[in-house]
Amino acid sequence: MKSPATYTESELGNEELLTVKGFKVWFPIKSGVFQRTIGHVKAVDGVSFAVKKGETLGVVGESGSGKTTLARGILRLVKPTSGEVLFEGINVAKASRKEIKLVRRKMQIIFQDPYASLDPRQTISSTLYEAMKIHGIVQNKPEATKKALELLEKVGLSQEHLYRFPHEFSGGQRQRISVARALAVNPAFLVLDEPTSFLDVSVQASVLNLMKDLQKDLGLTYLFITHNLAVVHHMSDRIAVMYLGKIVELADKDSIYHDPKHPYTFQLMSAIPLPDPEAKKKEVLLEGDVPSPVDIPPGCRFHPRCQYATEKCKKAEPKLAKINGHLAACYYEIDFSTGKVIGEKADE
Amino acid sequence: MQSREEKVRKGEWEARIADLKYTLHLFRKNPLVMIGTIITLFFVALALLSNIIVDPNLAYASGYEGGMYRFDRKYMWSAGHIINWGPGISIYSGPEFFYLGTDGWGRDLLAMIILSIPVDLYNAVVIVSIAAVFGTLIGAIAGYVGGIFDEAILRITDIFFAFPGLVLALVFAAMFGRTMETLQLAIVLVWWPPYVRLIRGQILSEKEKPYVEALRALGASHIRILFRHVLLNSIFPILVQITMDLGGVILTFSALMFLGFSPSPSMPELGNLAADGYGHIFDAPWVMIFPGLVMLVISLAFNLVGDGLRDVLDPRLRR
Amino acid sequence: MAEKRAESQPVLEIRNLKVNFSTYKGIVKALNGVDLKLYSREVLALVGESGCGKSVTAQTLIGLLPENASILEGEMILNGKNLTKKSKEEMRMLRAQAIAIVFQDPMTFLNPVLTIETQLEEVFMLQKNLLREAVAIQKAEGDVKFADLIKAKSAGSSQTDKGASKKETKKVAKKLSIDLLRMVKLPDPKRILKQYPFELSGGMRQRAMIAMAFARRPSLFIADEITTALDVTIQAQILHLLKGLRDRIDASTLMITHDLSVAAEVADRIAVMYGGNIVETALTRALFRKPFHPYTQMLLRAIPNILNPVERLESIPGTVPEMINPPPGCRFHPRCPHAMEICKGERPKLLEVEKKHEVACYLY
Repeated sequence: MKSPATYTESELGNEELLTVKGFKVWFPIKSGVFQRTIGHVKAVDGVSFAVKKGETLGVVGESGSGKTTLARGILRLVKPTSGEVLFEGINVAKASRKEIKLVRRKMQIIFQDPYASLDPRQTISSTLYEAMKIHGIVQNKPEATKKALELLEKVGLSQEHLYRFPHEFSGGQRQRISVARALAVNPAFLVLDEPTSFLDVSVQASVLNLMKDLQKDLGLTYLFITHNLAVVHHMSDRIAVMYLGKIVELADKDSIYHDPKHPYTFQLMSAIPLPDPEAKKKEVLLEGDVPSPVDIPPGCRFHPRCQYATEKCKKAEPKLAKINGHLAACYYEIDFSTGKVIGEKADE
Repeated sequence: MQSREEKVRKGEWEARIADLKYTLHLFRKNPLVMIGTIITLFFVALALLSNIIVDPNLAYASGYEGGMYRFDRKYMWSAGHIINWGPGISIYSGPEFFYLGTDGWGRDLLAMIILSIPVDLYNAVVIVSIAAVFGTLIGAIAGYVGGIFDEAILRITDIFFAFPGLVLALVFAAMFGRTMETLQLAIVLVWWPPYVRLIRGQILSEKEKPYVEALRALGASHIRILFRHVLLNSIFPILVQITMDLGGVILTFSALMFLGFSPSPSMPELGNLAADGYGHIFDAPWVMIFPGLVMLVISLAFNLVGDGLRDVLDPRLRR
Repeated sequence: MAEKRAESQPVLEIRNLKVNFSTYKGIVKALNGVDLKLYSREVLALVGESGCGKSVTAQTLIGLLPENASILEGEMILNGKNLTKKSKEEMRMLRAQAIAIVFQDPMTFLNPVLTIETQLEEVFMLQKNLLREAVAIQKAEGDVKFADLIKAKSAGSSQTDKGASKKETKKVAKKLSIDLLRMVKLPDPKRILKQYPFELSGGMRQRAMIAMAFARRPSLFIADEITTALDVTIQAQILHLLKGLRDRIDASTLMITHDLSVAAEVADRIAVMYGGNIVETALTRALFRKPFHPYTQMLLRAIPNILNPVERLESIPGTVPEMINPPPGCRFHPRCPHAMEICKGERPKLLEVEKKHEVACYLY
């Protein structure tokens, strides 16, 4: 377990809503007649960060990075292996059933697939009503209907949608319904797991606008998980980059793009196709495939694909360390514009 | 608020009605299914009205005298066919006309068949309901909970799968006597395992769907998720199976009665009637043919309806 | 460079293509008169959101429309041959020789129980002429590479060894397979050949698919959302590959995507599609610098751009039109801020407003 002091950011006196320390989610691989555990898929392998009240923390990564598992692990939808997830004084990772129910009201999630996130046999009103009923938000049916209509209005739908079935709506509208359902229980914290990946560009724009408006109106805090780097830049205040189960870099959004400190971050940023054919881009390609969390390389996880890797990188994992308020897990300081290594971090 | 609510409520009804219309449309597309449905409905109506159409007293064999039936045979259509049944039994050709002839006890075969339909249908419904409800519940819980409980249930159903229904019925009859209840129990014990398998498969795939995860994130309890969401979404194949099973159970039930498990040899029941005619298959074939034909038609009709349901429900799920 | 590519005669021309689908709910008028030109050796990106008809266009081109579809009117002309008039058998032959398509999910195309070697060689073995050509070249020059075959095709020459034995053709097929895999930058081709599709990663599968597509020396290569399912870094690799291959393969590429940024990366020209029509076509730079059609303009403003961050993205009011009862006239008019009376009447045709820049809008 690493020392927590290096990772939590409590600058600006902003209160932390969610604090994650040394969080791990490992899935056992079973084999044989007796289903013995022969190994683990280390989806999330030691992640620490904090989300301040009212901010949007973006989490980016490719497949195998663990970001989706992280989202589910924080909400205890999968079983955490170790570490702490502190939310309003409760450690979600080890909470009792009663505590989890409390947490479930305050922490909500919007899923990626608008077509499957809603029970196809339930009308919208029934879906919303159920959410409210589980947490005792309303006392009777008329109150619930009133609140449901308010929620629909808030997400940009109208009252005639209340008694329709999910399949009668478009993808964007269904996401709005998911948002309404999440808001029905008055949450404080919302995890957004790729909420617009399946949506068209124009629909995505309106959904993202909605999320921003809601954040302002209701003072929500977001954890925005996506693989779309342009979207995350638009939505987030700070961004964490994940690779193979760990955070390799964490900084404010502009630094991540214009001044990355980790080689992987740099590769990621240069790989983004830009909607501008005249933009100058460095043609540096990342070789190889996105690795799988079953077979994690020793030392720095990124070293097999890193052009700056040295012997040191193969031996031990670099820790997330601060350089000017910007956290990066790399032994070296590199100037990516020239490709030169300009410094080396002192060992701890 | 009231009128606004009402307006919105109407919307719900319209949605459900449009849903139903779509189902009916798909149903109508297939002529075989329509035939099956009509036949099934016909038989159900017949079953419900049987006591009005036919005087149940006709079921009582004429001339029953403590242990030995005195035959009072009447013949089909034409008169003048004489069969010598042995000493002490009178035979004659009577003036009455029976549409389907008579059975071995001289009763109007058509009337007996009509009277036996409610018996068969009732038993089929009882048996299938119990098997389906029991099997579905167990399978649903097993599929949802998983783990050791699931394994255990699977092994238990494996055991039941291995039971030969006939032998089981035999044993039960020997142990508990030949009543309707023991027969029903015997068949239920053999018919419930397929439901476990069926629902379990559906539940296993349904519970991985995102909306289930969404419900958990909302804080819904597992019981709520299972019974109000996952189960309801998985129920369609079960409905299809129930329909097909109704046909199948009628056949099984009749077969067992045919083999002699009936509580009373003169009870109007399709298998029973066929058993009666079995001995006279060459000289009075109608006694066996007509009940058998009716059995065939009923189970075929149920099968067609079940088939149609399956076709209707499948593309619908692709909406 | 791109200007040089667009030669006078288009390799593929689609004129006023109209395709309908009959469904339970009514007739879906998927394609409403599509006009498209694809020139030799260029990459044309067909961009649009879901429901605009871009995939239907691809399906119509290769003749794999489902049962309930019908081509109402219009023509598709490839290399001078009219595709719309062809029978199913003729289309099948054409698919084998002139048109190649790669889809979003390579697993649907690759046979999971056959090794890559078997599948790739199968493609070659179906082209006896190609193999005979290859044997001839090998005998003449001592060695044969796939690039030689491409050169031969575009040069129109056909030296062929009619007497090539089965053993020779098989050997040369294997050699060409390895060569192709190397061309798509798959590391260690000999090992890949022996593997099954599920053993490869998504990016590698796409490369294998691209290899299989080019094995036929097609004149038209259709890429239907091939990078949509891939990670960003892998997508970058594939796009880089396509850019590199463009100069070596004598084919015209129709790249279908919903992502304008991807189009900006690889395409020479872009055609924007909406509601079953092409609403704007232009050279890539021109489209981004000076979009004419209101839909294109709004679409560009809806994309989050890192280099030009905004507080709110501009979303397009309304929803994608329902294709059973589409709006009359210009299908975009209900959502267009500049809509006029005339827009509800007849559909505007594609007109050239600037050099090589066409728009279908009454504003111009």
